[in-house]
Amino acid sequence: MNMVEKILARASGRRSVEPGDVVIAEVDLLIMHDLSGYLTSRVFDQQVGGQVRYPERVAMVFDHHFSPPTEDAAAMLEANREWARRTGTHLLDCGNGNIHHAVVQRGLVRPGGIVVGSDSHTPVHGALGALAVALGNDSHAGTVLPYGKAWFRVPETVRVELVGTPQPGTTARDVALWLVGRIGEGGLIYAAVEFTGPYVKELGFWDRWLFPLLCVDLGAKCSFVEPDEVTEEFVAGLPPGAPDRYERGDGGDESTVLRFDVGEVVPQVACPPTVGNLADVPDVAGRPVQWAELGGHAGGRLEDFRAAAAVLRGRRVHPDVRFNLVPSSRVVFTQALQEGLVLALHEAGATWFPPSTGSNQAYNMGAMAAGEAMISTHARNFPGRNGSPDASMYLAAAPTVAASAVTGTITDARGLR
Amino acid sequence: MRARGRCWTFGDNIPTDRLVKTKYVVEPMEVIVQHVLEDLNPRFPVEVAAGDVVVAGKHFGQSSGRAIAVKALRATGIGCVVAETFARTFYRNAFEVGLPVLELPGVTDLVSDGDVLSVDVAAGLFRNETTGVQREVPPADAFLLDMLEAGGLIALAKARPELFADQVR
Amino acid sequence: MGRTFAQKALERASGEKDLVPGQIVDAFPDLYMSHTASWRCIRTLERMGWPDLYDVDRIAMVMDHIAPADNAKTAGYHALCRDFAQRSGVTKFFDVNAGIAHVVLMERGLVKPGEVIIGTDSHSTIYGALGAFGTGVGFSEITATWVTGKLWMKVPESIRVEVDGPLARGTYAKDVMLRLIGDIGADGATYCSVEFHGSYVEAMSVSERMTLCNLAMEMGAKNAFVPPDATTLAHLDEAGADRGSYEVLLPDPDAEYRQVERVDGRSLVAQVAVPHTVDNVVPVTEVAGTKVDQVFIGSCANAKYDDLAIAADVLAGRTVAPGVRLIVTPASSRIMAKAASDGIVSTLLAAGATITNPGCGACAGVGGAMADGEVTFSTANRNFQGRMGSYHSSIYLGSPATAAATAVRGVISDPQELLA
Repeated sequence: MNMVEKILARASGRRSVEPGDVVIAEVDLLIMHDLSGYLTSRVFDQQVGGQVRYPERVAMVFDHHFSPPTEDAAAMLEANREWARRTGTHLLDCGNGNIHHAVVQRGLVRPGGIVVGSDSHTPVHGALGALAVALGNDSHAGTVLPYGKAWFRVPETVRVELVGTPQPGTTARDVALWLVGRIGEGGLIYAAVEFTGPYVKELGFWDRWLFPLLCVDLGAKCSFVEPDEVTEEFVAGLPPGAPDRYERGDGGDESTVLRFDVGEVVPQVACPPTVGNLADVPDVAGRPVQWAELGGHAGGRLEDFRAAAAVLRGRRVHPDVRFNLVPSSRVVFTQALQEGLVLALHEAGATWFPPSTGSNQAYNMGAMAAGEAMISTHARNFPGRNGSPDASMYLAAAPTVAASAVTGTITDARGLR
Repeated sequence: MRARGRCWTFGDNIPTDRLVKTKYVVEPMEVIVQHVLEDLNPRFPVEVAAGDVVVAGKHFGQSSGRAIAVKALRATGIGCVVAETFARTFYRNAFEVGLPVLELPGVTDLVSDGDVLSVDVAAGLFRNETTGVQREVPPADAFLLDMLEAGGLIALAKARPELFADQVR
Repeated sequence: MGRTFAQKALERASGEKDLVPGQIVDAFPDLYMSHTASWRCIRTLERMGWPDLYDVDRIAMVMDHIAPADNAKTAGYHALCRDFAQRSGVTKFFDVNAGIAHVVLMERGLVKPGEVIIGTDSHSTIYGALGAFGTGVGFSEITATWVTGKLWMKVPESIRVEVDGPLARGTYAKDVMLRLIGDIGADGATYCSVEFHGSYVEAMSVSERMTLCNLAMEMGAKNAFVPPDATTLAHLDEAGADRGSYEVLLPDPDAEYRQVERVDGRSLVAQVAVPHTVDNVVPVTEVAGTKVDQVFIGSCANAKYDDLAIAADVLAGRTVAPGVRLIVTPASSRIMAKAASDGIVSTLLAAGATITNPGCGACAGVGGAMADGEVTFSTANRNFQGRMGSYHSSIYLGSPATAAATAVRGVISDPQELLA
């Protein structure tokens, strides 16, 4: 069995499972953000009722709002707080960061466990060696909250092996975007995707993070990087310290293998209307942008702010561009302060926002008028997600975002003079 | 689990964001239902009738796993969604909230907008009554069909708590 | 008979002589400030068929109230303003990243002694902190002034406020003003020019003077004024205002005042405006212990550098009480830079604050909204029912020190207890 199968077998009390089996398994962590938490808690209260079986295994994170703009939003958050207090679940209130980054930094995600959540990017926690799957509100309200369990169909596993060395100036984010283009949106529906190969093994934890993150765009159920010393060192540095278990595959299983040489990858931009609509930066360079943002599930990492500071050294944000910086967690904001990045980027003309998920879905910020365009590290670019359906969202790596903020048009950071 | 009605066609990779726009997510269902898929076909929320069939391309319902998008589609009264492939969160949510769905590769070549279709999800049967074309696919897992039959996951868990409560399955 | 500041300023702006209170004049303001609502002015101009502008250099636009946009509609208004500014050559255009209009203009040398400045914001009285005549007007009036360059004004009567110091520990300009507003009422200075004098005023920083003049609005003042002195000139030099570009106007020693008010700073204690009016003021001791859900340090009244420094002093080495949200919104981008460079941002962050982008933030109703039954302690200048979200929520107003102490304790607290 591989890692996913082992976790599902253990959690469902079976000796073994096979792809296609439907099992009911015990869940270690349910994560919900301010919106899904609201909808789920309402379904739970109205249609299910009773006690939350394991409140310590449930976390609500307010990340779409860092400071609610309307009375309605405030009422929603207050209803969530009241629910969290009443049921005894974890509450990470406004300003704690993006949901996925915040629960990792808080030490709530443990390797070898099962993580579920409404947010479609929940599979990202496969980066820590957890089985992480996005479920719907009715699974959460109907079985996870009252019983601590959920149903799962055991997925087939596809192994994606990345070899080679990318071109200079090409980041892990570029490779991840490029892969969505190569494999295609919905290319691996229902599969578990294992990322492996020398390229992945060489990456630091927060760069590996970007790969399980993209699996939703491939249509996959979950994704993981088999835990190794990089994982162990990272997890040991989180609040509760080293975990008591890791699950690892036995090897020798017969997965489909897709092998890619990342040596040909150059900086990428995902253009509207979908994440799979990729272009090499030089092919779309020159398109005007009025907004740039580092933030969201895929951005707001320390790595992103360092990259932006390197691009902006001796330069300024273009007068026609608003450059938003949204740390993914309080930990990252503090580190950025200590490294002097907060001041350096502020003085270069960028604006810092509280740790949150930033402009994702434009709840607290990031609405655009018809005809406006943003380039960002976000994970989604569907029209209408950021204000007007006639506004454009481009997705890219931090250096490309920063370089575009300098020039006011989509720009290849490698050629910035 | 049977539907018969007018065919409404949509393309590939339709995200849940376009089924229900973010700004409507917390509105009451009576409001949401008036805006389902409006960006892609403004006539749809106005003219859709009970039993109608939505036919889509690949990876239908990608993006946010919001069950509200599926609930809104169900609330329009449609009888079934048939797609080449579904995004898995959408597929899962559909069974959990009791909206019949059928995965049928090649379906987009079998229909035109406005055709009359009949679908039997439990049997895996699809028929275009306008053209007479018929297809059959293996039905979904029995557990999923049980869920659909019960009216969704919450109803199933209420009817059969032993599935979740006591020993693991 | 000598003349007040208001008489002199309006004489200068209208070219008329020997004005008396009650007289109506056509004044030619030196600067017209409009914030996010500028889009209304632009739409009006469009309906008028794009008439010529009187003097585009006197137009200042700052996108501060809803920044950045929270929906496509607001984003459209911002885009309209940007486009107009570019098309019409408005060089004093400040986008959503700059901060609160008043503070941005004052820190960049665009507000100068003796000038008459109108703004689409009632707290435009704040410009008096640098010896200017600042007053709030509606957007229709601003639009008309864009075109004609002039605006009718009634010459106001004047009130002289004497504040003697030094202030007692744990009290600040905010406490002085809340006490004064509590004493004379929200309409106590209606349509008056309020001049601040006295040993405390002379000793205070420009930041504290801004708080005085800002809050004067809450007793109905048309404008406010602190006599420019060496402190003012040093600020203007640093802000880049050329000394030859303005003329300091001071009231005559024998000017006529409608009334004189005195505040004794030495015996002052921290003051709190309790729900739901600004003139409903009590000493902090009377409401100490009231539970709060949220603390907001922001607004043009009290989110300047000195205000953040005061809050950081109280919060250093402490943490925000569990269950309380502390939102800090620096008034401007420059203030954020200074606070980030000298450790204030680190201190606030370590204490558990959520630091937002510079701007009006929660004070303009964008961010920090409350649900039914919630309570916010705020450093802003208004606490009217429903101003921050639900009609069934409450706002208490006080100084940054009182706000910080309240955040630490989770209940309204006298900052004296936490100041070393």
